[in-house]
Amino acid sequence: MDIIAGIFLIIGAGFVMLAGVGVVRFHDTFSRMHAAAKAPALGLLCIGAGTMLSVRTVPATVVVVLIVVLQLIAGPVSAHLLGRSVYRRARPDLQGPDELLGVDDEARD
Amino acid sequence: MIALIAVAYVLLAVAAVLFMARMLIGPNLADRVIAIDGLLATILAGVMVNAASTDSAISLDTVLVVALLGFVGTGVLARYIEQRGG
Repeated sequence: MDIIAGIFLIIGAGFVMLAGVGVVRFHDTFSRMHAAAKAPALGLLCIGAGTMLSVRTVPATVVVVLIVVLQLIAGPVSAHLLGRSVYRRARPDLQGPDELLGVDDEARD
Repeated sequence: MIALIAVAYVLLAVAAVLFMARMLIGPNLADRVIAIDGLLATILAGVMVNAASTDSAISLDTVLVVALLGFVGTGVLARYIEQRGG
């Protein structure tokens, strides 16, 4: 059981490291946000599974499930807030078509 | 188990170094906010790996509170960027 927990921990840490690689390597603010919003959530899910399998008590399981559920809710919400404010104010150069042109105009200055 | 935990710690250390590099060289404020968010996720992952390696659930409550505070901080910084410009 400890071996399975360790493998889960390594998979989760690898996902977090891939998020770091993406944040450093990508050329666009939205691309970096894409890397930093999704991969750490999956990494924390795997690390939570490993922690549950390693500790194996009821309070630890409850707290780990709370952490993972909170991360899965709060990560997309904070990424959405940050992406909207970046689109409205920072205005990076987009590499593709601007899908929000003419839709999200009221808050731009 | 000790070797697996050590490998996980090394991967998280590499992730922390990469996030700190982006935090230092980030062209605008939003990149630094992204990097700080990722660094916080790395710290949470490290504390959870520590809890798994010592088989104690004491520090998991800390992870829960820090995750909530990080969400609030990212939301506040997003509001700041939206009102003052990035």
